[in-house]
Amino acid sequence: MNLPFEQIIRLLINEAFQYRRAIVSAFAVISLAFLSVGLVWPKIYTSTSTIFVEQTNVINPLMEGAAVTADATNQIRIAQELLFSRKTMSIILQEGGWLINELTPVEQEKVIQGIQGRTSISMVGRNLLKIEYHDDLPERAFAVVTKYTDTLISRIVDEKAKESKEAFEFIDQQVRDYHDKLIVVEGKIKDYRSSNPDATPGSDTAVNTRINRLLNTVETTTLELQEEKIKKESLERQLSGEAEVTASLSHEGQLRTRIGELQTELETLLLTYHESYPDVVRIRQQINDLKATIEREKVRRLEAKKLAKAGGQPYVDEGISNNPLYQQLRSQLSATKTNIETLTARLNESQKRLDEELERSKRIHGGEAAMTELTRDYQVNREIYQDLLRRRENARVTMNLNMDRQKISIRVQEPPLMPVQPSGLRFIHFVLVGMFLGFAIPVGVLYGFQQVDPRIRAPGIIVERLKLPVIADIPHLSSPAEIQAIATNSRWLAVVVIGVGVIYFVVALLKVTGML
Amino acid sequence: MSKIEEALKKARENRSKQLVPSGQVSSVEGQSASPKSGRELLDIESKIDSSRRIATMREQGEMPQKQLALKKIIYPDMQENHIANSFRELRTKILQKSNGRQRTIMVTSPTSGCGCSFSALNLAAAFSFDESKTALLVDCNLRNSGLSKILSSEGHGLTDYLESTELDVSEIIHPTGIKRLRLVPAGGVREVPVEYFTSMKMRSLLSAIEERYPDRYIIIDTPPILESADSHILSELCDFVLLVVPYGKFTQSQIKAAADAISGEKLIGIIFNNEPCVPGQSWRRFLKSLFSPSGFKWTGLKKAV
Repeated sequence: MNLPFEQIIRLLINEAFQYRRAIVSAFAVISLAFLSVGLVWPKIYTSTSTIFVEQTNVINPLMEGAAVTADATNQIRIAQELLFSRKTMSIILQEGGWLINELTPVEQEKVIQGIQGRTSISMVGRNLLKIEYHDDLPERAFAVVTKYTDTLISRIVDEKAKESKEAFEFIDQQVRDYHDKLIVVEGKIKDYRSSNPDATPGSDTAVNTRINRLLNTVETTTLELQEEKIKKESLERQLSGEAEVTASLSHEGQLRTRIGELQTELETLLLTYHESYPDVVRIRQQINDLKATIEREKVRRLEAKKLAKAGGQPYVDEGISNNPLYQQLRSQLSATKTNIETLTARLNESQKRLDEELERSKRIHGGEAAMTELTRDYQVNREIYQDLLRRRENARVTMNLNMDRQKISIRVQEPPLMPVQPSGLRFIHFVLVGMFLGFAIPVGVLYGFQQVDPRIRAPGIIVERLKLPVIADIPHLSSPAEIQAIATNSRWLAVVVIGVGVIYFVVALLKVTGML
Repeated sequence: MSKIEEALKKARENRSKQLVPSGQVSSVEGQSASPKSGRELLDIESKIDSSRRIATMREQGEMPQKQLALKKIIYPDMQENHIANSFRELRTKILQKSNGRQRTIMVTSPTSGCGCSFSALNLAAAFSFDESKTALLVDCNLRNSGLSKILSSEGHGLTDYLESTELDVSEIIHPTGIKRLRLVPAGGVREVPVEYFTSMKMRSLLSAIEERYPDRYIIIDTPPILESADSHILSELCDFVLLVVPYGKFTQSQIKAAADAISGEKLIGIIFNNEPCVPGQSWRRFLKSLFSPSGFKWTGLKKAV
């Protein structure tokens, strides 16, 4: 039923009143039951001690970074193993007075299991180990916890000393192993170097530098050679037929110019004189000679060309050969040819040396890999060796400290005390809980019943869910006899409630005065 | 009564002045300038007549309050005033719904033991609080009639009337010891009561009862509707039906089944009955009584105990 809180409370009160007999009876039964249990509940005395224990063990800081150790030791488990060992338990049995009576082994085992069950070991924070033991007798609780504490401390101190000694021995052994390894690797490196002269440090860089330089030289020389070749071709072209034709044409041009000049002079003379005038005749003669010369020149050049062609030589006109420019070109061609030969020789030399260097580089690289392998082993071993040396010294100091018991790694933080008051559930708890539950349980049951019972208890539900109008809400009308019965009944119930209170009070009083 | 008689006399005089016959009043009603038409005057007259008849009703000796309390019947100045007020409110709601007209109200419940007779009796008692109204309780629960025992009524009852041809209606209507409340008891126990309620005589009985007093409210206590067919038949003869649902006894589906058994328009509401409560208004007195040697004192109880 989803009812408003106020209505739930109202229903609860109304029905609680309706079932008041059951509720008051339940209250009386429950509260008196708790009171009875509280009276017979055994007193338990608890004694506690706290021990400060360093969480880290000796080997951890020593081996930090150098080796992976197991997880942090479980202090509780170790403490339990130490305290619950047969040896410790015998001492505890003796201390607690259990051995006064002659016990059979089976009985002893039972007693030991009981003691172990009543002992609790826990960690408080990071470094505090708490030992708790409860017993019927406060003296015995105190004695057992004291013995536990002493035993634990002495055992842990011994364990620590033993542990640090073992740690030192272990590290020392490691140091020796690594030393031997280093010697072996050093010998290998020495042998390799003597058999491979190229395997000197830095030879690789030098070879690379040389290869680079040679590569540059080869490249530059190749370029220069290319340039000189182009230059040579150009000069040869200039000195070949084309130049000759140009020169030749220039010579014929000179003759034709001369013919032109004579023709002009002739025409000038003809303006004044007749054909027969001697100067005219002479000039005509000169012109004809010049023309004949031109023709001869042409024939000669063709023949010379043919001859040159047949001989495989470039044809060079004599006139041209004597030309200073031609001479200069020839000189340049000669110089270029020389340069080409020089550069070719240089290029070949550089290439040869480059090949040699590359070959050497290959040799060096092969040797270097082997050398790196040896060096790496050497370096790793050397680092670990140096580290172990340092740690061995730490371990030696720790071992000495632990042996002298000067290092405070465990101490009693809170010594055990004699319990004066019983712990756990006390009488007052039972009283208070009994009163509360005596009221809460019946009301809770009633509330639960109301929640699960589908029968309609509120007119609002009829209106809301069945959509039927509720025209009147009539409370129960009690007859005078009923009211009388309610009054009488309520008086009795009040007497019961007050009676329970009185019983509580009397029992509490007897308890306080020590009569119970 | 002198004022009433004067008003009646004045009305007669006014009416005698009008020449129009009474049957034609309605035809000239709209044209009449006078605010008090003949019909209105007739209504006033009939009401005054009814009031006078109710006021002069023959009453048996009045039942003392202690008896009423023992029989769980409400009365105006009772201690458990909130219960009387609940029934007063119920009466008012019914009057509102009936628009001032005379109505026959059937009270039923899903099963027996739901306080149906208690509700019917106290509803009738609430109607009888009003001096201008009268209530008639008809016990139709022929198999398990309880009202005649509660009201200590003897004589002929409903079944006797329905079987007999000689009995007059007035012979089965008995005073109850409560002013303006009359009872028609169930009469002798009958095994096959359905046939009584289907008879024309039952229908004519209800009409006759209604006609006896204009301001009479007839409340019929019927058998449980889920257990008997009587209630279905009777609901056809009534104007209103009230369904009594006790606290914490029925689930939604059961209530729905009971409501569905009643024709929808006649069911005017549910009476949520018997809700438990701590002695509310008399709580202080109740507490005081716990610590007083004589116990809880309740009005009327002192004499009874």
